[in-house]
Amino acid sequence: MATGVLRSSKSRSAVWILALSLGASAQAGSLRVTVVDDHGPVAHVAVYAVPSKPAAPPASAPSSVMDQAHNAFVPHVLIVQTGTSVLFPNNDVVSHHVYSFSEPKQFELPLYKGNAHPPLVFDRAGVVVLGCNIHDSMLGYILVVDTPHFASTDAQGSLSLDGLSPDEYSLHVWTPRLRPNDMPAPTTIKVAADGTQTLSIKLEGKLAPDFYEGTRVSSLPWQKY
Amino acid sequence: MAKVLRHAAVAAATAALAGAALADDSSSDRNRFQFEIDASYVHADSPLGAWTDGGLGKLRYAETNDGLESTRVFGQYRGRIANALSATVIADYQSDASSGIDVTEAYMDWRPVPKSENQQQIRFGAFYPPLSLENVDLGWQSPFTYSYSAINTWLGEEVRPIGVEWSLHRRLGYAGSPHELRAFASAFYGNDPAGTLLFWRGWSLHDRQTRLGDTLPMPPRPIFDFTGAVVGHAPQSVDPISEIDHRPGAYAGLEWSYAHRVLVQLARYDNRADPYAFSGGQWGWGTSFNQLGLQAGLPWDLGLVGQWMQGDTLWVQGARADGTLSPFAALVRDDFDAKFLMLTRLVRGAHRVSLRYDAFDMHRTEGQPAGLQSDDGHAWTLAYRYEHSARWSGGIEWLQIDSARDNWAFFYASYGAPKHAAETEIRLQMTLRVGATPR
Repeated sequence: MATGVLRSSKSRSAVWILALSLGASAQAGSLRVTVVDDHGPVAHVAVYAVPSKPAAPPASAPSSVMDQAHNAFVPHVLIVQTGTSVLFPNNDVVSHHVYSFSEPKQFELPLYKGNAHPPLVFDRAGVVVLGCNIHDSMLGYILVVDTPHFASTDAQGSLSLDGLSPDEYSLHVWTPRLRPNDMPAPTTIKVAADGTQTLSIKLEGKLAPDFYEGTRVSSLPWQKY
Repeated sequence: MAKVLRHAAVAAATAALAGAALADDSSSDRNRFQFEIDASYVHADSPLGAWTDGGLGKLRYAETNDGLESTRVFGQYRGRIANALSATVIADYQSDASSGIDVTEAYMDWRPVPKSENQQQIRFGAFYPPLSLENVDLGWQSPFTYSYSAINTWLGEEVRPIGVEWSLHRRLGYAGSPHELRAFASAFYGNDPAGTLLFWRGWSLHDRQTRLGDTLPMPPRPIFDFTGAVVGHAPQSVDPISEIDHRPGAYAGLEWSYAHRVLVQLARYDNRADPYAFSGGQWGWGTSFNQLGLQAGLPWDLGLVGQWMQGDTLWVQGARADGTLSPFAALVRDDFDAKFLMLTRLVRGAHRVSLRYDAFDMHRTEGQPAGLQSDDGHAWTLAYRYEHSARWSGGIEWLQIDSARDNWAFFYASYGAPKHAAETEIRLQMTLRVGATPR
């Protein structure tokens, strides 16, 4: 078992603790990742592994869904591989007007309900912030990544990335709750043909309140119009 | 007979609008009708009479109203003219107002799709300034209590800009930043007599919003002789929304919020009215105020809402209703100050309990009689509201106001008005809402 502490951005570093366990044999390797901060596990954090050798493009273009329900984007953060086409169904009784002015994908889906608009292809990696021009409080993200290996942490702050072919991977972490400068810098991980590596990632920056909690805690109608 | 006919006409219009709202309930929201009927059983107790009858009291109802009242019947129409352009009209029926049906707000709003973090909106028409943290429900009603706080009652009575408002909303810093900022500014006409009712009657707590064409009753104007003694009284009223001096007023504010848990607002309003301007039977009252608003989510799911307003009104004492000035006419300044703090809690999604404390004051800072205290008091409001469904809701409210005024002794001694008064109102209310937007 090997344990290492890896470098992160700036001096307020995130700490990457790597534990390698050579376990049962398999065709491909796996990564089990836990994300914590000073207060414990952190849910809804995106982790993705970009291989050093560009992965072969998928046989068919992947597709995904960013739902709108109860005046919120569901999920709050959607992770997709570059080239994915995303459908934006509106399951609310009221119309939404979805837009983004983010660099990787600028678009506008004028007032609609249901599946009025065809899916959009997200062909550039980066963070796409979503808004609704009718409902100020609606906020969502599409994280577009150059890899099919991605996941989001569960309530225990854990996730696993399976089916990784042997290679060197650059492991990235992203959450809207951290300032971009506080985001842990990507780290390089070598994945062998079999076995599972376990990683613990500690976030050092100050986390903004969880969006999910934030909308529940207040019993006041903040939406004025 | 005329009254019966008016009621019948209103009932017919009501039914027609309700029908439109029902028919529209689940279809396209390009045209959206929402409609509400509020009926109350009211018991009021005041030694001063309801202000709505021209009394000196602070309540909308008096003993004479004991029984069933149609508190408010209103409809809101919201139509999308284009993707980013909408029109909103709110029309009200009030059984105790100067006219049956009239409009409280009518405006267009334009929200261009943002090209950056800056989200802008322009409103054009007659609307409420975004100064109330309490009146956030459909039709500028409060979802917390039935009677509004003293501050917001007054905003509903005498403040209704007719003009243009620009606002900007943006997240501060990175994409997921919990810090949000909103700025707004407006230039408007109307509102020149704002402050008139506040001075003559004092602060008030109720839920009757002034419509654009309303004439509001006021306590009578005292008539002085050359020694300055009150020798009689003349009836008076005010049309608070009127434009008198053709000089635009302005308001502006800044709002910061954190993670939808804390909100702080600072704003300034100035109607910039000329106190020597007279038009349409109305004098200008130069009224301005600063306001601090606060909203916070506390532990145990308690919500806190508060506002603090400080301002003054500059007007001519001795300005007659015919547009002439009495030989003793003089410019006077009355300062006003009001605040409220409310705790509210939503229990199991359908029950809401709210407790509010109001404190208010108005006194003379310039002119005679020096230091005249025209209002000084406080109020407690306790309300329980139950939302049975999106359509039906109901609740009960208890309101107690204690106040004292030199004003009464000075201007209304011959009325036998006491210096101190305790007023109470208990209200049982039922609400039917049709075509409501699910939140």
